[in-house]
Amino acid sequence: MIRRRFHCGAPQYHGRERLACPYPAVYGSATPMTEGSTQAEAEPARPVEALPPEVAEGLYIVIAAFNEGKAIGDVVRELLPRYPHVVVVDDGSRDDTRHKAHEAGATVLRHMVNRGQGAALQTGISYALRQGARFIVTFDADGQHRPDDIPALVLPIARGEVEFCLGSRFLEHGDKVPFRRRMVLFAAIIFTRITSGMRLSDAHNGFRAFSRKAAECIDLHLDRMAHASEIIDQLRATELPYKEVPVFIRYTAYSLAKGQRGSAAFRVAFDYLIGRVLR
Amino acid sequence: MNAFQIVVVSLLALLAVITVRTAIAGRARKRVTIFWMLVWLTGAAATIWPNITRDVARKLGIGRGTDLVLYCSVLLLVTGLFYVYTRLRNMDRTMTLLVRELAIERARAAALQATALGHVQDAPDQRREQEHQPVR
Repeated sequence: MIRRRFHCGAPQYHGRERLACPYPAVYGSATPMTEGSTQAEAEPARPVEALPPEVAEGLYIVIAAFNEGKAIGDVVRELLPRYPHVVVVDDGSRDDTRHKAHEAGATVLRHMVNRGQGAALQTGISYALRQGARFIVTFDADGQHRPDDIPALVLPIARGEVEFCLGSRFLEHGDKVPFRRRMVLFAAIIFTRITSGMRLSDAHNGFRAFSRKAAECIDLHLDRMAHASEIIDQLRATELPYKEVPVFIRYTAYSLAKGQRGSAAFRVAFDYLIGRVLR
Repeated sequence: MNAFQIVVVSLLALLAVITVRTAIAGRARKRVTIFWMLVWLTGAAATIWPNITRDVARKLGIGRGTDLVLYCSVLLLVTGLFYVYTRLRNMDRTMTLLVRELAIERARAAALQATALGHVQDAPDQRREQEHQPVR
C-alpha cells in the first residue's frame, strides 16, 4: 500500500524484506560504524559529571533498535559498564541486532514481529518499570547520542528538581544541525506547540530521561513515529516539573542518511492526529 | 421485466438465500442478518419498481432515483471503511500488547534463569515481583 512508496532507507533491504518495512524509514542505522564515523568533527568537550553509583544502579537505559546489527554493539559497549542496566528492544529486526546487543552485554527484549519505534520504547519502559527502575533514559540505537550527556539529564531528576528531562539539540550547538534537518525539526516544533501547547526548543529528540513516577504516566498507543508527540502530550498532562537539557547530536553521514525523511513527517502527523481523535 | 431486472433480482435472491442459510446455521448475528436482508429486499424492490426510488428522490429534492441510490451507497461504503479502519487499529493494538508481553516475559524468564545459575546480571526486583503490575 502507501507504505511501500516510502524509502525504507537501509541498504540491507531487498525484495520482500523491503515491502515488509512497516514505517517510512528505519529508525536507526545499519550502516557500518567505520573508524571516525561515530565521532563528529567538532564534538564539544564537556566536563563529564559522574553519576553516583546508587543512581546508576537504578537507571535503566532503553534503546529501541530495528536492523541495527552493525551499530548496536558499539552503542551498548559505550554505555556499559558505566550504566549497568542497558535494555535493547529488538523490534523484529531481520539482521543480528539481538545477538550483537547480547554479546555487548545488554539485556535484550525481542519483538517477534516489527511493531514500530513507539511500541518498542513502550516495551522497554514497561520492562524497566517491572524490574524496579528508578530512572529511565531513552537512547537512540544509531550512535547519535553521547553517553556523556546522560548525567546531565538524570542528575536533575535524581536531585529531585524535576520529574523528567528532555534532550534538546538546539539549546546549545544548534548551529551544528544540518540545514535540512533543521527545517523539518522546526516544523515539528511548531506542530508540537500548536497541538500540545508545550514550548519546547526541540520536540522530536529521542534522548529523554524520566523518573519512575513520570515513566509510569507514559502509555504509548501510537506504535510508529508519532509517539514523539504522544509522549510529550502525556507528560504535559501530568503537569510534572521538567526541563530541557542541551545535548549534542552526532550528525554523521550515515545517521543523516538513516534518519527520518522530511516526507515522512506527513505520515507522522496523520498518525498523530488520528490518534488524538480515536483512542 | 427486462433482462437487467431479471439478472439483478435473481442475484439478490441468491444473496438472500445465502444470508438466510448462514443465519440458520447460527454463524451470523440476528441484527446482521436483518440488516443484510433489508439491503437485498430494498435492492430488489428498487430494481423491479424503479418509480419507488424516483419518488423518494423527488421528495428529498434529488433529481433522479439513480442518484439517490448512488449517494446512499457512497455513504454506506464510507461508513464501512471507517468500521474496518477502526477494527484494524484495534487489531494492531492487540498485536502490540501481545508482542510486548511476550518480549517482557521472555526477558524476565531469562534473567531469572541467569540468576539461578549464579550470574547476577539483571535480576528482577523481588519486591516488585509480588505486585504483579498489569501490562500497558
